[in-house]
Amino acid sequence: MSHLLLDDVSVEYPIFGAQALSLKNTLTAAATGGRICREAGVTVVRALRDISLELREGDRLGIMGHNGAGKSSLLRVIAGVYPPTRGRIERTGTISSLIDPMLGIEMDATGYENIRLRGLIAGMRLSAIKAITPQIAEFSGLGDYLSIPVRTYSTGMLMRLAFSIATAVHTDILIMDEWMSVGDADFRVQAEERLREVIDNTGILVLASHQTDLIERECNRGIDLSHGAVVQDRPIGPIEPMIRLVSAG
Amino acid sequence: MSTSNRQLHSAWGDWWAGTRNTELWWTLAWYDVVLRYRRSMLGPLWLTLSTGALLAGMGPLYAALFKIPIGTFFPHLTLGIIFWTFFTATINDGCNVFINGAQYLKQPGFSPSVLVWRSLARTSLQLAHTIVLYLPVAIWAGIPPSPRMLLFLPGFVVVLVNLHAFTITLGILCARFRDIVQIVSSMLQLLMFLTPVFWFPSSLPGRSHAILYNPLAQLLDIVRLPLLGDAPAPGTIRFLVLFTLMNVGLAAVIYRLSRRHLVYWV
Repeated sequence: MSHLLLDDVSVEYPIFGAQALSLKNTLTAAATGGRICREAGVTVVRALRDISLELREGDRLGIMGHNGAGKSSLLRVIAGVYPPTRGRIERTGTISSLIDPMLGIEMDATGYENIRLRGLIAGMRLSAIKAITPQIAEFSGLGDYLSIPVRTYSTGMLMRLAFSIATAVHTDILIMDEWMSVGDADFRVQAEERLREVIDNTGILVLASHQTDLIERECNRGIDLSHGAVVQDRPIGPIEPMIRLVSAG
Repeated sequence: MSTSNRQLHSAWGDWWAGTRNTELWWTLAWYDVVLRYRRSMLGPLWLTLSTGALLAGMGPLYAALFKIPIGTFFPHLTLGIIFWTFFTATINDGCNVFINGAQYLKQPGFSPSVLVWRSLARTSLQLAHTIVLYLPVAIWAGIPPSPRMLLFLPGFVVVLVNLHAFTITLGILCARFRDIVQIVSSMLQLLMFLTPVFWFPSSLPGRSHAILYNPLAQLLDIVRLPLLGDAPAPGTIRFLVLFTLMNVGLAAVIYRLSRRHLVYWV
């Protein structure tokens, strides 16, 4: 069962300039009442403001908004990475993110070793990784290349490997930032199919994207973010494209 | 992936979740060591070799300079350099542990304590490659095996606990104030001369014994003396019990206060 609740969640975080990152300057500022270092260099960003959301099994949430509207921050709050400054978040179910599939890939390690590393970072046990390694190897189509260091791989091969590992397990809640598409023409078809399968098997999908058509194709609910607040929250149904056609025509 | 209802707000639960994920931090540390030397023929044995060369060069020279019989001086110096290298490597790495691990901290369900254990495991693996040098030295110097050497084990646990606490405290402070990294590394350089790494505490004139009460000198004593066949002084043990409590307490308070902010700082 997957369930996600955000109750009046706000996130504010400090961006420290070079000044505020220095202990000396901070101490001087404190000792002199801030008169010497008037420019303390701390900017507080209000990334999210009073967001309330409830998602249940089967919900597909699309997050839209211009650059800096808070899409990535919201994804990180949902993932449990950013603790909210105010408000409350409750989550039931395992969660995985397809945001940074290259994290933890070691260039001097072999493909197989990277499967182990990436799997562990994604929260799997070694025994579970061992069990699905053959599937990952087969899906990646990299064959014997998996036994040599990934340093020798082409960019496309590396993406194949990362994608194959990232999509190998199904979780209750899946977080994506834009659609993942990788590889050459052949692999792209295979990857689309895999991604489809992963998405169809997940309880809740949260997808941030700039592409309205993608959100309308994949999601049943869409929110628009602007300056960290939800400005529009609407269901997306099969009826929606027709309305658009009518209003466009 | 993370388990259901992870306690996002409990610093202690979060520390424990990372600590018990031994597979993760041990594998990360293992690959840190293995991959670094993968394309060299001797692999991590380079660590052994370079430390050995340093000792072989310094031993006879400093024994002559200090006018101490080399049979007494060499084991003292060997353990001094090996453990001092371990302490400083761990503390220096500890300062950058969260800064360098920023990307990991942005993964769902990744506890900061994983990075702390990874750093500690990595430097311990390096220590394992250099401590073997003591065996031939001890045999050459004729240090007899004694049951007191077993005191090394509790001593090493005390060292690990303290280094873990240092890493948490400094890792967090350095993530917030980046110039602490430089402050710590210059402090450690100074401390090397104030700590009996090379010299013997017994050569200190009367009143200057106070400088032995620096925590690193005491931590060095508690692992070095047992391996030389001596027991650490009761004063060392009293000092370290108190210091460890304070050190762990400080780390716990800092971790608790800043756990929620850490990911925004890095």
